[in-house]
Amino acid sequence: MLEKMIFGRYIPGDSFIHRLDARAKLLFVFFFIMVVFIANNWITYGILLVFTFLIIKLSKIRLYFLINGLKPVVFLIIFTFLLHLFFTREGPIILDWKFIKIYEEGLKQGIFISIRFTVLVILTSILTLTTTPISITDALEILLNPLKKWKLPVHELALMMSISLRFIPTLMDETDKIMKAQMARGSDMTTGNMKERMNAIVPLLIPLFVSAFKRAEDLATAMEVRGYRGGEGRTRYRKLEWALRDTLTLLTLVVLAVILVYFRN
Amino acid sequence: MLKGKTRMLIAVAMLSSISFVLMLLAFPLPVLPAYLKVDFSDIPALIAAITMGPVAGILVAFLKNVLDWLFAGSPTGVPVGHMANFVTSILFITPVYLIYRKVTSSKGIMAGLGAGTVSMAIGMSVLNYYVFLPMYAYFLNFPMETGTALFNTIIFGILPFNLIKGILVTIVMIVLFKRMKPLLDKVTSSYMKPNTN
Repeated sequence: MLEKMIFGRYIPGDSFIHRLDARAKLLFVFFFIMVVFIANNWITYGILLVFTFLIIKLSKIRLYFLINGLKPVVFLIIFTFLLHLFFTREGPIILDWKFIKIYEEGLKQGIFISIRFTVLVILTSILTLTTTPISITDALEILLNPLKKWKLPVHELALMMSISLRFIPTLMDETDKIMKAQMARGSDMTTGNMKERMNAIVPLLIPLFVSAFKRAEDLATAMEVRGYRGGEGRTRYRKLEWALRDTLTLLTLVVLAVILVYFRN
Repeated sequence: MLKGKTRMLIAVAMLSSISFVLMLLAFPLPVLPAYLKVDFSDIPALIAAITMGPVAGILVAFLKNVLDWLFAGSPTGVPVGHMANFVTSILFITPVYLIYRKVTSSKGIMAGLGAGTVSMAIGMSVLNYYVFLPMYAYFLNFPMETGTALFNTIIFGILPFNLIKGILVTIVMIVLFKRMKPLLDKVTSSYMKPNTN
């Protein structure tokens, strides 16, 4: 479980979506979430599905990874679907069997919500599958830059994000190592009842905290030696470059929104 | 030494990473609904709050949720669950900090954690009634639970869950606190002393 988190969920590749600027992708997902809520009938939800399918094709991501991303929410999707199926009581009855009554509106709402869910999860998955967490952080820093006016410490937040991201794999490794060391001594923290779990967590936490504070101290010294002095006038190793394709990508979203508004009830 | 602020930022970032890792080790409680999961990710935030101040604690809680959102995404699109988690952490951390600041001992931390548990359980019950559950209902297009049904969900689901979660975190935190007191004091003094740089 721990190894697979190392690069977040990023899968290297060379597709149109991979090459897009992280800022464009972030803005796209942000506005897409709003656009999805425009859909309210068969045609509009159909258009959303087709649109999502096209994006999947463009990203050249194997379906396996996307299905993997859907797994954690499948339960929630089915649950919502059933809830709508049994409890939305509008329109003609389409199935009447003993005590179960299914109404047309319930079935329709259930399907619509399932589509909305699936589309949203797939789109956000594609964002994180085609963009490294570090470029997402950079993109967030640039996009939120205007908020500096209201004293929001954008640079500091982004710095903390980058440091956290950098040290997650290291800490995961360490957690893994400590867990194995404890397991070798007969403790087990993944199973057992509440009390056993609680007893197992303390010997895991103490070494983690001790080394985290030590690492923080080391990193502070290292940054000082390299002359870190905050965000002002800082130059960048990784640069984000906005290209024509990014503008065009955002424009397709406008087109999608217009089409959806036209076809909605 | 770097300016105190930057050192604090780095320590907060490290604690956020731990918090995020702990979040992955979440487990559901028996009987209660499965979407309510207990994890110990509030502990790094508590440590940050008592060593470096309330802002550090809240930052850890914030970053842990941003990280989790980046890695796991959110089924509703709008991260309602993450927002709820963030608010829960604030409600839990603040009383602990306020009381511990006055009484710097294991008694102080115990009283603080008790107060934190209560404020979290009550605060989240109220907020779930008025804000988060209606928000979920809106985004999932649920037929909204109303009146007594919603009230029951909260009294038999949210309230006991937050109490149990608070008690579990409290127990772990007290054990941890007693063993780590010397280190915590050292960290506190190194971050709190007026910086001459």
